[in-house]
Amino acid sequence: MATTREIRDRINSIGDTLKITNAMYLISSTKLRKAKKALLDTEPYFYSIQSLMARLIRHLPEGFSHPYLDFRTDIEKSQLRRGYIAVTADKGLAGAYNHNVLKLVEEKLAEHSNNMLFVVGEVGRQYFEQRGIPIDEQFHYTAQNPSLHRSRMITARMLDLYFRREIDEVYIVYTRMKNSLQMETEIVQLLPLNKLNRETFDKAVSAGVTQQDFRMEPSPKAVIDNIVPNYLDGFIYGALVESFCCEQNARMMAMDAANKNGQQMKHDLSVEYNRVRQGQITQEITEICAGARAQRSGQGS
Amino acid sequence: MADTFFSLKIIATNKVFYDGKALQLIVPTLDGGYGIMAHHEELLLAVEVGELDVQKTDGSWERVAVGNGSVQVAHNRVIVLVDTAETPEEIDKRRAEEAMERAKEQLRQKKSVGEYRIAQASLARALSRLRMKDKGRYL
Repeated sequence: MATTREIRDRINSIGDTLKITNAMYLISSTKLRKAKKALLDTEPYFYSIQSLMARLIRHLPEGFSHPYLDFRTDIEKSQLRRGYIAVTADKGLAGAYNHNVLKLVEEKLAEHSNNMLFVVGEVGRQYFEQRGIPIDEQFHYTAQNPSLHRSRMITARMLDLYFRREIDEVYIVYTRMKNSLQMETEIVQLLPLNKLNRETFDKAVSAGVTQQDFRMEPSPKAVIDNIVPNYLDGFIYGALVESFCCEQNARMMAMDAANKNGQQMKHDLSVEYNRVRQGQITQEITEICAGARAQRSGQGS
Repeated sequence: MADTFFSLKIIATNKVFYDGKALQLIVPTLDGGYGIMAHHEELLLAVEVGELDVQKTDGSWERVAVGNGSVQVAHNRVIVLVDTAETPEEIDKRRAEEAMERAKEQLRQKKSVGEYRIAQASLARALSRLRMKDKGRYL
């Protein structure tokens, strides 16, 4: 049986850990409140722009071709260079949040060769560096407080690489807030706009929208030229906001669980501590009594 | 009278800017201003950085500085999706001026095409904001 001193030391160390997890819980809960507000403000835009894009693609004239819709069939499928933007956190201690993103990215990386990785957030960067998976060095963005400026920079970089034909497909892996409790890691193809992969878009479109012909002024090409970069901006911004909110939520839940576990351990240990201490006292009393009795019987004889 | 209204939604990345009925809408597009009234045909437009005007149901006009985006018209419903939307009161003049200076400086340096475009776009935004703040001084 452990001595009282050992148990007391453990209780103290758990207490110290609890102080940290509790502080992190408080920090993430205030950050979450801010992130949730940003998410709420962005969500109408995020979903409208997805349904707009779906509509636009549905109504494109037959046989219409555009660089954004170019599937680069001249390159063999296995030779296509795929770019992945992975949105992770800057810190760990957020439950399965980072793990889910990294797992999905690794799965995708394993499917093909010729990948390029663009990582947002420090955790992902370190993870891939440790495993010797090459990531884009100049792509240095944090996951904290997403801004339009950051998404514009990312979009510009992606479009630049896409048009220089250094990458042929662009995907983004991010975490979406399904509701305040559920989060979902998702992968979405950004470029080329995927006409075949329409189910990702169709989900966002409410049912019952009838087909009608849209006029596009001045021309479909000009509209697409202007709307698509904007759509990418919006989508990346939305994805960053969603991910940031998920990160804070995941961290808050993880820290809450850590707090509860710590409290439980502390309680169990204090019960054990009391039991051991009581045992010791009982033993001491028994020893004293026995000693006294032995002395008394020695005197009596 | 009710027939001359259409429902208008102006959604920016950080808020739903306008949600309600309107009489008229003028959006800045690639070819200049484009007016939209009730029962407009189905349409999809790209919005340029500039000034957007809304005539509300009481006949008064409101001016909004908008960033890049799009307008879609269907079934007498108009949805404007832009990355930023601000009223003249909301525009921070100092910030816009600083952004303008920064963008001009970046344009002067020789940089990659991507960086050039970003600087160009932010210059356009800054100029549009300043233009709205004090009419035409920067043109």
